Formats: sequence, C-alpha cells, structure tokens
Amino acid sequence: MKTCISCGMPMEKKADFPLGDESKDYCVHCARSDGSMQSYEERAAGMAAFIVRTQGLDEGAALAAARSQMARLPAWRDLS
Amino acid sequence: MSIQSISLRRDRGKQKLETRRRILEAALLVFARDGILASTTADVAKEAGLSHGSVFAHFGSQAELVAAVVEDFGAGVARRLHELAATGAGARAVFEAHLRAIGESEAFYARLVVEAPLLPARARDSLVTIQSSICFHLSPAVEADTEAGEIKIMPLYLLFNTWIGLVHYYLANRELFAPGASVIERRGKELLDHFMSLISTGGYIS
Repeated sequence: MKTCISCGMPMEKKADFPLGDESKDYCVHCARSDGSMQSYEERAAGMAAFIVRTQGLDEGAALAAARSQMARLPAWRDLS
Repeated sequence: MSIQSISLRRDRGKQKLETRRRILEAALLVFARDGILASTTADVAKEAGLSHGSVFAHFGSQAELVAAVVEDFGAGVARRLHELAATGAGARAVFEAHLRAIGESEAFYARLVVEAPLLPARARDSLVTIQSSICFHLSPAVEADTEAGEIKIMPLYLLFNTWIGLVHYYLANRELFAPGASVIERRGKELLDHFMSLISTGGYIS
C-alpha cells in the first residue's frame, strides 16, 4: 500500500489517486484538478483549512501545525 | 565498492534502525509509566538495555526523543484507525475505532493528554496530527449521517471537540474513573452511547 508523500494518507483504492492514476505517489487531496501535485503553499493552506474546519483551531495555529506536519513528509522535508 | 562492503553497510543501516526502534519502544514504556517530563534519557537507556551515549547518538536531546516518540505513536494510531475505521460505517464506527486505537496505548496517551501543553512544539503539533487522522475518517461519516437525518446539524469542530473533551477528561482522571484499570475498557461504551445520544436526532437513549 502506498502512502501519500505530500500528506501521509494511505492510498488503497483507485479513487485515492489523482484522476485514478495509481502510478502517482501523491493522493487525490494533494492534487490539482488537472492531476498535478499542489505546491507547498497550496498544500499548507489546504491542510490548515481542514484543521480549522474539523478542530476549530485559530487560523495561525492551524497553519503552524500544518507546516510542522509537512516538515516530516517526504515531499516537503527538504523545503521546510 | 565491493559486494562485501555494500553488505556490511546494509547490515549497519539495519542495526541502526533496530536500535532506534528499541529506544522508541523503551521510551514509550518509560513515559507511560513515569510521565513524559519526569523521565530522563538515562531512564530510557536503562529500560532499553543500552548506554546513555547510544540514546544521544540517535536522538540529540531529550526534546528530540520526546518529539520522535510522539510522532511514532501518532503514526501508529493513524495506521490503526485506518484499519479499524474501514471495517464499519457511520460516525459511531469512527468513534469506536478511535477508542480502540488509543486504548491500545492508553497509559501513554493519557500522559500525552495531560502533559501536552508543557511539551515541545513539535510534540504538541503531533497531537494535532493525531486528531487530523481521526477527522479524516470522521468528516465524511458525519456528513453522511447528517444527510441521512441521523445526526443533528452542527459545526464539525464543535462535534469533534465535544467528543475529545469528554474522552480526554476521563483519560486525564483515569485513576478516579477506573483505578488500576483501563478507563476506555471500563467506561468507553458508556461514553460512546452518551455522546451518540447527544448528537442523535432521535433524542437521548438511556
């Protein structure tokens, strides 16, 4: 089973991959509508928005937590 | 490079990973037993049967070790949740999976909940990541249950934080609610039934 290099999500089903392309190492949530991978800033904003919506954190705190999480993921380790 | 030297390098890499794993497992035990902040790297080295220097060779500081243990624990909870949540449907199944996943390392998780505000930022952020892994499964389940008219309409973060508040309160006071035993095992079903009644459109089921 693959794990998304950008957010860490396990990818098991075809629907977990961008445009159903199972050769990709990033998941559908980390892809743009054309299937390409989101940039660091796009992904950080997306993760922060998810944290705000589901955990209700302050926006700045959510962004800091998102960046901290991304720093440990293969796609962003060298950028953080 | 000769085949022998490649093989030797591979063995050393494997040994390094095994020692790192041994330290993480020993630290989890020590932190759960004695508290995260009250434990020292010397305690962890003793539990792992290694020299103090060996712990520092893998983790440069106490703060780095704590952050690594919390991250490793969080990754394990996320994997377990993913396995467990896949076996059921609806919000109740996700909450059940959550209780089982944290219940498997209850003593450590309870320490983490109590000591989180005092831990290094990286370790605190890992707790947010653990909650995100629950929300990843909870969000679509709540949407489906709400659409089916089974759960009251409310902001997802308030629903989630109310659940977490309840579970964490019992964990933080586990010696009062289940002295010497697992509070999740003893009270988990009661908490889950209560919470589902609160958010259910069907009213309170006693």
